[in-house]
Amino acid sequence: MRAGVAKLLVRLYPRYWRDRYGEEFEALLQTRAGNLRTSANVIWSALRERVSPTPGLNQGRRSVQLHSWCMRAPWAVFGLGPLLFLAVAYFVACFILWSGWRMFLPQSNTPFIPVGGYAVFYFEAGKLLYYAAPILVGWAVVLVCARQNPKAVWPGVGLVLIALVGGTTQVHAYRAAGGPEHVSLGFALGSFLHGIPGGASHALMILSLTMLPFVVWRFQKDLASR
Amino acid sequence: MRSTSPNVVVRQRDSALENFSDPPMLVLASLAEGPKHGHAMIDDIAGLCGTHLGPGTLYGAIARLEQQGLIEPLAAEDRRRPYRITAEGSRVLRARLTTLHKFSKAGLKRLEAL
Repeated sequence: MRAGVAKLLVRLYPRYWRDRYGEEFEALLQTRAGNLRTSANVIWSALRERVSPTPGLNQGRRSVQLHSWCMRAPWAVFGLGPLLFLAVAYFVACFILWSGWRMFLPQSNTPFIPVGGYAVFYFEAGKLLYYAAPILVGWAVVLVCARQNPKAVWPGVGLVLIALVGGTTQVHAYRAAGGPEHVSLGFALGSFLHGIPGGASHALMILSLTMLPFVVWRFQKDLASR
Repeated sequence: MRSTSPNVVVRQRDSALENFSDPPMLVLASLAEGPKHGHAMIDDIAGLCGTHLGPGTLYGAIARLEQQGLIEPLAAEDRRRPYRITAEGSRVLRARLTTLHKFSKAGLKRLEAL
């Protein structure tokens, strides 16, 4: 394997791991064939080390600050923090919708109409951010949870909140006759509680997708400890 | 659609069964012969049981075994670091292999009775 590729692959591992094994591991990679299988094996192992660190190896070196926050204020790390990140992502998505509307559809009374050309990419980027944000934020919660090993209550509350917000948020866009464009977010929580299948199924889908890596990680951990 | 012949399926199944895949045990078994560095371990394990450990899997096992005190590092030789099995590692390997030996004997006996 080329020295540059080996160096790059070693950098995928956490710093504490690299400090201990980085040099010898890089030397080993340079003696192996640089095929896709080897690279995939290293990437997967590095990911596992990041999600489930070798017990004892990272003792005293893991993020003490984050660990302390997880113990002292789990409601902030797993509840408020993810919601803030979600709010920022939704704000950016709304900004993309609003600016795209002004740039590409200045005559239209709504941005929700078929578009062509570069406008497709612009609006699709906003849409992707809007739909992916709850899942990505949920995965971040699961990652922190896997690394810091807190009690399951707050991460559970955080994931349910994210799913609820993701499933009930609605984007409203309107323009008064001749006036400026308005884009706002609303929460259809009332109709959700009355059993609107769309919102409920969307929230359940988000919850399932965010829980999936956690379930896989637990399964792997149980297998490894047998 | 591609079809897979029954012979290929049987070969793949046999190959999967032949490849013993417990990386920490494989590393311990390899080091039971004497100290080795990563490259030598991969080749030795492939010769021992046909399992081709990836470098990431190998070092995952090495890190865990070292933290458990079952292997220990020796002085590095030109960026390559050899490892050797500890007394505790030998004890664990012996216990595990004895269990496997008893298991395989019992299993073979049952097969003979068929």
